[in-house]
Amino acid sequence: MVETGLIDAVAQGLVTGSIIAAGALGLSLVYSIAEVPNFAHGDMLTVGAYLALALNNPSEIPFVPNAVALPFAVAAVGAVVVAGVFGGIYEKAVFARFRDKDADLITMVIVSLGLALFLQNLVLFLAGSANVTYDTVRRVNVNVDVYATGSGLGVELTQRAGADLATLDAWGYGWLAVVAVLAVAVAAGVAVYRWRSADTGYERVHFVSPRVLAVATTLAVAAGGAALTRGGTVATSNPAFSTRIGVSWKYGAILAVMLATMLCMNYVLKRTKTGRAMRATADDQSLARVRGVDIDRVQLVVWVLAAVLAAIAGVLLGWYASNLNPNMGFNLLLPVFAAVIVGGIDSPYGAALGGLLVGLSMDVGVYLLPAEFATYRTAIAFVILVAVLLVTPEGLWGDA
Amino acid sequence: MALADFLVSLLTVVSVYTLFGLGLNIKYGFTGLVDFGHVLYFMTGAYVTVVVTLPVAATSYEGIGGFALPQLLSGVPLGGLLAWFVAIFVAMVVAALLSLLVGVPTLRLREDYLAITALGIATILHTVVNDERWLFNGPFGVRDVHQPLAEAFPVSLGSFLVNLAVFGLVSVLVLAYIGYRVGDYVYGVDLRAAAMAAAAAVLVVAGLGAAALGGALVLGGVLVAVAGVVVLARGIGRADGFGRPLALFTALVFVAWHFGTPFFTAGPSGVLASAVWLFDPTAGADGGFTYGRFVLLVAVSFVAVAYWWCERTVNSPYGRVLRSIREDEDVPEALGKRTFRYKVQSMMFGSALAAAAGGLWATHIAFIDPTQFIADITFFAFTAVIIGGAANNRGVVVGTAVFWTLHTGTRFLNDYFPTEYATQLAALRVMLIGVLLMVILYYRSEGLLGEQTYDTGVAAEEGGRSE
Amino acid sequence: MVAVSDPILEVDGVEKYFGGITALDGASFDVESGITGLIGPNGAGKSTMFDCITGFRDPDGGSVWFRGEDVTGDSPSAVANRGVVRTFQIPHELPEMTVRENLALAPRDQRGESLVASWARGDGYYEDEQRAQRRAVEAAERFEISHVLDTPAGELSGGQRKLLELARALLTEPDLVLLDEPLAGVNPTLEERILDHIQTLAAEGYSFLFIEHDIDVIMEHCQEVIVMHQGRVLMRGEPEAVRTDDRVVDAYLGGDAE
Repeated sequence: MVETGLIDAVAQGLVTGSIIAAGALGLSLVYSIAEVPNFAHGDMLTVGAYLALALNNPSEIPFVPNAVALPFAVAAVGAVVVAGVFGGIYEKAVFARFRDKDADLITMVIVSLGLALFLQNLVLFLAGSANVTYDTVRRVNVNVDVYATGSGLGVELTQRAGADLATLDAWGYGWLAVVAVLAVAVAAGVAVYRWRSADTGYERVHFVSPRVLAVATTLAVAAGGAALTRGGTVATSNPAFSTRIGVSWKYGAILAVMLATMLCMNYVLKRTKTGRAMRATADDQSLARVRGVDIDRVQLVVWVLAAVLAAIAGVLLGWYASNLNPNMGFNLLLPVFAAVIVGGIDSPYGAALGGLLVGLSMDVGVYLLPAEFATYRTAIAFVILVAVLLVTPEGLWGDA
Repeated sequence: MALADFLVSLLTVVSVYTLFGLGLNIKYGFTGLVDFGHVLYFMTGAYVTVVVTLPVAATSYEGIGGFALPQLLSGVPLGGLLAWFVAIFVAMVVAALLSLLVGVPTLRLREDYLAITALGIATILHTVVNDERWLFNGPFGVRDVHQPLAEAFPVSLGSFLVNLAVFGLVSVLVLAYIGYRVGDYVYGVDLRAAAMAAAAAVLVVAGLGAAALGGALVLGGVLVAVAGVVVLARGIGRADGFGRPLALFTALVFVAWHFGTPFFTAGPSGVLASAVWLFDPTAGADGGFTYGRFVLLVAVSFVAVAYWWCERTVNSPYGRVLRSIREDEDVPEALGKRTFRYKVQSMMFGSALAAAAGGLWATHIAFIDPTQFIADITFFAFTAVIIGGAANNRGVVVGTAVFWTLHTGTRFLNDYFPTEYATQLAALRVMLIGVLLMVILYYRSEGLLGEQTYDTGVAAEEGGRSE
Repeated sequence: MVAVSDPILEVDGVEKYFGGITALDGASFDVESGITGLIGPNGAGKSTMFDCITGFRDPDGGSVWFRGEDVTGDSPSAVANRGVVRTFQIPHELPEMTVRENLALAPRDQRGESLVASWARGDGYYEDEQRAQRRAVEAAERFEISHVLDTPAGELSGGQRKLLELARALLTEPDLVLLDEPLAGVNPTLEERILDHIQTLAAEGYSFLFIEHDIDVIMEHCQEVIVMHQGRVLMRGEPEAVRTDDRVVDAYLGGDAE
């Protein structure tokens, strides 16, 4: 019998991590540019998730007319757009007013707490406290079973069909092929890193940082190599090591959406005029104003983007967990804050990376700890947060 | 439940949360520490008090303890009460030590990091208490809460008439004293503002009264009540301050509610029952002074002592250093004050007060479980403190009274809606609290009373002693 | 005016980095009693040096000695309690506290500053607080802000804030006062008053190290001048020697000049 193991936990952690990363990215924008430690950010996730529910599965919500039920993907996009409008409302109705009054950081913390109470209970008021789900096409997870044996690496795809496990596919690699593919992949990654970082100077802004590009190259080459060198089945009866990785097209979709989101945000921040204005505002608001940056517009964009990112994270969270409830976002607030603080509040990239790190730690941590500690998943994020703050009060990546 | 019982229960809750808020005010109002985990010490206080006084091997309790302190002290006169005080003291010490553990790493952080780490620690310890049955019985909570002297209640002085006379007299005296203080404060109010406040009170009472009859009157009644609020606002606009007209309005509405409602439901005897609210005619054979009223008395005494204690703390050079930390920590530090030590002490003192409130809460409610200690309790206390005016101890009393009266008072709305909407109504209430928090911070960030003035016990001008 | 004696403050090779930027690059100097000026173009590291001396930042290298004792890395309050007190470039008044409270806060080792003493109010509590209040009033009179004693400090004018900051620093009875641009944004009349105060106080035995941009002020009022440039000490000497030094002229007229 094949058991799920560390690699499965890592895969889960990547999915959790990318959801946290999307939340953290939005929170860090608001944190660094609007200078609001936004305690309502978790509830902005919840609002996004429920907006998608209202479009996709309105019968779950008592106060919404049961007229249109859009396919999940369409509903998700619609929810994200509406959430963006909400983001503009938060800015105009609440935060712009307090900014005009030069509210200090503590006041902003408590204002955002007020908004958090409002949003969370607005959802509770409209949708009730029951656990609900999106109406999506359900597909059964595929298990990827990996066996390490004397003759090579065996892979089996299995799927639960009724009470039985059906084997969908099976293939293997000789050890030589495994080593060769890994070596080529690492070499390609190193080469790309050298190539891209050769012209690094103080002035140069990379669209994608060389490190990220190198890791992406390594993964792509490894995947390509694995497809090319695929061989016949390997006897898997008595493996030295075996592990099961639960895979779903859902996970792939979540990772793909997150990746696309990150690239879009990267484009906005680095290649657009607004993005440059945002970064200038984050560095020094008064200087940016002197240079002719329209601060109010930048702030509006920031809140809209933050709400959009929060909605994306919220929808994916609800989909991933197959469960929505009014506390879902607030419960994720701690990991999201942890990610932002770990990554350094002024660095959106640090925040995204921090999100991945926190998500991985949570799922791997739960896997490594005894079963009765599963309720302390959030606590793991918190332990990371405190550990990082104790060592470097400014966050791991600081202002990098 | 009779009106008087409801009033007693509400006042007890207000007292408990006032004590809790006084602790928060030391941290947040005077020192500027945004402790979003304040409820942690309330929970600690409640559990420690209960477990220390819990009998050994209490039924359906699988946590640590009980330590059976009342049984240990049973030989001492008033041993049960003494055990309870010892338990409260232990709870305060435990909470102070816990906040020391929490504070040493977190109080070096920026204020926003402190807020999130404090919230995190409180959330996680709440999860621990909820999930670990070996600790304090997990989600099943603790019954068998030790209620000191409960066996002596209801106190009866022999006959119904004597009870009515004595306790009734005390009740009336209390009401008269409060009425005197309010009147003394309101006296001198602008006459037109007073007239408008009175008219507003009439409109609000009539409107709400009509709405309570139900049917088609609901909408009209609510409209009349809203009109009353508008009149009140205009009346306040005419006066030179909002305090006096508002106090007058509040007093009139209270009188109408306290004496008017029972008149319509129970007739003159209802009015009498409201007047002698500290006397419960249904308790025991001859009526008497109930345990709930005793707990209220204890809670009010705790608040009085804590209020005095907080005032003494902040009206001193020590309090001056605390406030300078709130304003700008670099200044006292540059002047040679060890600000970190002050922040830790402020945290410990505030947490100890929260623990005392927790102990009182447990005694009042007689059953505790983790659902009573959610993060919202902290946020409510922040709202109450901000309503009254942060860094104002009297403001905490006023703010907590306003907050919990509105919070509890709006529960009567539940009666007019089908029970399946209870969640909705509760959510609506908290939504409005969130809005209230933002509105107050925007329009009147200093709260109803503003920041208090300070006196270190030395008259400033002459440099002479004034205490 | 003041006899040259052992240095009271010794700064030895202090380094400080922020990310990739070097703010202090092994700066060393001595400060003797009297009035010492610290000048240098913007970005020379003067304020960072103040932060490192007074413990608001830990230096990444080097050491700071006060009266022969190593105070490197001590907390700001510990440094202040040894007798080195600073002011801030932007006045740090405590806005919601009155001027009186701002001043009464300053005297060191007040009895009522301990939690238990504030409760017990035992021996000497009232006498000590009376003393603090009296000294606050005296300081306000001396610095001509007694008419605003009961005004919240946040409502003061810029000049009054500067005076409050100076008065508050002196109430700690320091040996050495570090003034970070006490004349910045101050009108000429007030500038004269502040300089007079500093001269009088120096005659009473207080020592000053102060950052100032106006070379003329430095020349007129300081016995010694330290010139910083790019995180290092360019030179230290008598005002006249500094004025005529080519390196100083270069530093000011070079790329960093204002």
